[in-house]
Amino acid sequence: MIDVQDLTKTFDDVHALDGLSFCAEDGRVTGLIGPNGAGKTTAFRIVYGLLASDTGWAKVDGVDVAENRMEAQRNLGVLPDVRGLYPRLTAREHIRYFGQLHGASGPELEADINDLINRLGMQEFADRRAKGFSRGQELKVALGRAMVHRPKNLILDEPTNGLDVMSSRAVRALIEEMKAQGHCILISSHIMSEVSTLCDHLVIAAHGRLIAQGTPDHLRTLAGVDDLEEVFVRLLMKVGALHGAAA
Amino acid sequence: MNTGWSSRLWTVFGKEIKDHARDRRSLTLALIYPMLGPLLVAAGLYMAGNTLQANYRQRPLDIPAVGMENAPALAAYFSKHNIHIVKAPNKDQVRRLAVRKGRLPVVLVVPKQALENSNFTVELITNLGRADNLRATARLAEVIGLYNDDIAKDLARAAGLAKDYARSVKMKKINVARDANIAVFFYNMMPPLIIFMIFLGGVHLAIDTTVGERERGALEPLLLAPVERWVLLLAKSGAALGFTILTTLVNLSAFKIFMGLAAGTSTTLVSPPGLGIFLAVLLISLPLMCIAVAMQMSISVITKSMKEAQIYLGLLPLVPALPGMVLVFQPINPTNFTVAMPVFGQMLLIGQLIAEQTLNPFHVVIATISTFTASAAIFWLAARWFQREKMFVLG
Repeated sequence: MIDVQDLTKTFDDVHALDGLSFCAEDGRVTGLIGPNGAGKTTAFRIVYGLLASDTGWAKVDGVDVAENRMEAQRNLGVLPDVRGLYPRLTAREHIRYFGQLHGASGPELEADINDLINRLGMQEFADRRAKGFSRGQELKVALGRAMVHRPKNLILDEPTNGLDVMSSRAVRALIEEMKAQGHCILISSHIMSEVSTLCDHLVIAAHGRLIAQGTPDHLRTLAGVDDLEEVFVRLLMKVGALHGAAA
Repeated sequence: MNTGWSSRLWTVFGKEIKDHARDRRSLTLALIYPMLGPLLVAAGLYMAGNTLQANYRQRPLDIPAVGMENAPALAAYFSKHNIHIVKAPNKDQVRRLAVRKGRLPVVLVVPKQALENSNFTVELITNLGRADNLRATARLAEVIGLYNDDIAKDLARAAGLAKDYARSVKMKKINVARDANIAVFFYNMMPPLIIFMIFLGGVHLAIDTTVGERERGALEPLLLAPVERWVLLLAKSGAALGFTILTTLVNLSAFKIFMGLAAGTSTTLVSPPGLGIFLAVLLISLPLMCIAVAMQMSISVITKSMKEAQIYLGLLPLVPALPGMVLVFQPINPTNFTVAMPVFGQMLLIGQLIAEQTLNPFHVVIATISTFTASAAIFWLAARWFQREKMFVLG
C-alpha cells in the first residue's frame, strides 16, 4: 500500500505540491491523473525516495520513505517516465543488474529474468544491446527492471506510452494480472481510455492539490457526465485548474 | 534479498567496468591516448641522439667556400678529414643572407694572400643561433685548429725543435656528458607527462557515470534501487580508478619501451630507468590516482551538464602538470614540508625515481598519507554533493 499525506514541495518559488494526500491500496489500480504541472511526477519522486517533501509524509507498506528510504524501495517497483537505459548493456543484463542491486543472485534470479522476458515478450531482443531499441522495447526492459525483485507495490508512469496496440494490450494484461495477485499499482497516464479501463480508483490533482478522488463511477456521478475525459475536464474547470482547454 | 553494502558496491563497480569496457571512447582514452606522450618524447630523444651523437666527426660534411683554390694544402687537409668544399655565392651580401636565413650552414672565405703567404686569416660566416650551423662551425674550427697544429709541428721539426714547441698547453676533450645529459633531459620530461595522464585516465568514466547518466535519464532509475548513495559514488569512483590504473600502466609501459628503443639507436645515450623504477613509479602514483579520481568525481557531480564537466576536467590535468614542467628546469629537493603537500609530494618522488635517486622512506610515508587523506576529504565532499536533489532530477 502506498499512502501519501499532506505532501508539500517547493522548488525555489514554485509550489509543486500543496498538501496532496491519497492512498493507493493493495489489490487495486489507482490512477493519479492531472494536467501538466499538477505535481504527479514530484509526488512519485517523493514516494520512491528521490526527493524529500517539505512537509507531510509518504509511506510504502507502512514504511516512511523519508525515514527508511532503502526499506521502502525494496517493496517498490518503479517505471519512471524517463526510461534511462544503458546503451551498451543488453536487455537481460539490465534486468540482472537491478535484480542484483536488490540482493538477488544465482539460478533463482536467472529464472526470474527468463520468466520476465517471456511474460513481457522480450525473447527477440533479450540479448541485444539497448542502443537502437524502439520505445516499446525500452519500455519493456524498464518494466522488467522494475519488476525483477517481485515488488509488492508498483508505480508506473505512462506505462503504455509509445507502445503499439499489441504491446499496450500485453502491458494492460500484465497490470490486471498483478492486481489479481494483490499488488498495489499506482499509475499515471494521459490516455483516458486506458485510465477508464484499468483504474479502480482515481486521484485527480492540479496545482499540487487534490481536486477529487474515488471510483470512476463516483467521479462520473460527481461531474454529471459519463465520459471520463469529460469528467476530468469538468472537475478541473470547476476548481479553476484548467485554463483555455475548452470542454 | 537483503545483502550488505559491499555486495552492492561490487555489483555497481562490475556493471561500470563492463559497460565502459564496451565503450570505444573509454578504451581509446585508456589504451591509445597514453602512448602519444611517450611516442613524442621518444621521437625527440631519437632526433636529439642523432643530431648530437659522437660519430658526427666522421660524417662527410659539405662546406660552401670561396677562394679555396688559394689554399690547396688546406683544401687537401679538409678532404682528408671528410670535409668537402662546395661553391659558395661570390657576393658577400648574398652569402651572409644565405647563412642568416639558414640556406647555408656556414661559409668559409679564404683570402687571395693565402696563395703567397702561409699566414693568413680565413673568415667563417656563421649563424650561431642555429644548431646545425653550430655543429658545422665547430667541426670546421676544429679541423682548422688541427691543420695549424700540424703546420706548427712541421715548422718545429724543420727548426730542430721539439714537435710540441709551439704548443705548450695541450687540451684533450673527453666527452662524457653531452649525449648523456640530452637523454636525461628527456627522461626528466616523463614525470609531468605521467601525472598529466593520471589526471586524464578516469575523466571520461567520471563524467559519463555521473552527470552523463543524469543527462541521459539513467541515474534516476538507478537511484530507485535500495543502494546507499555513497556506495554508488564509491563504486563509480572505483571503476574510474580502475581505468586510471590501466591508463597509467599503458603510459609507463610505453615510456619504458619507446624511450628504450630511442636510446638504443645511439651508443652514447644513457638508457632509460629500469623496470623496477617504473613499477615504483606506479606504486608511488596510487595516492595520486585516488586524488585525481576524487577531484574528477567532485567536479562531475556539481556540474550541470557533460559539456560543463568536460571543460573543467579538461583543465584539471594542467594544474599538477604545470608545476611538474617547472621542476624539469628547476628541480627542487624534497623536504618533509614539500612532500607533505598533496600531489606535489608524489611529483617530487616520481622525479627522484626517474632521476634514479634513492627515496627517503619517511618522505614516501608522509606523501602517501597526505595525498590519501586529501583524496578521502575530497571524496567525502563529492559524496555529500551527490546527495543533493538537483543531482538526480532532470530539468
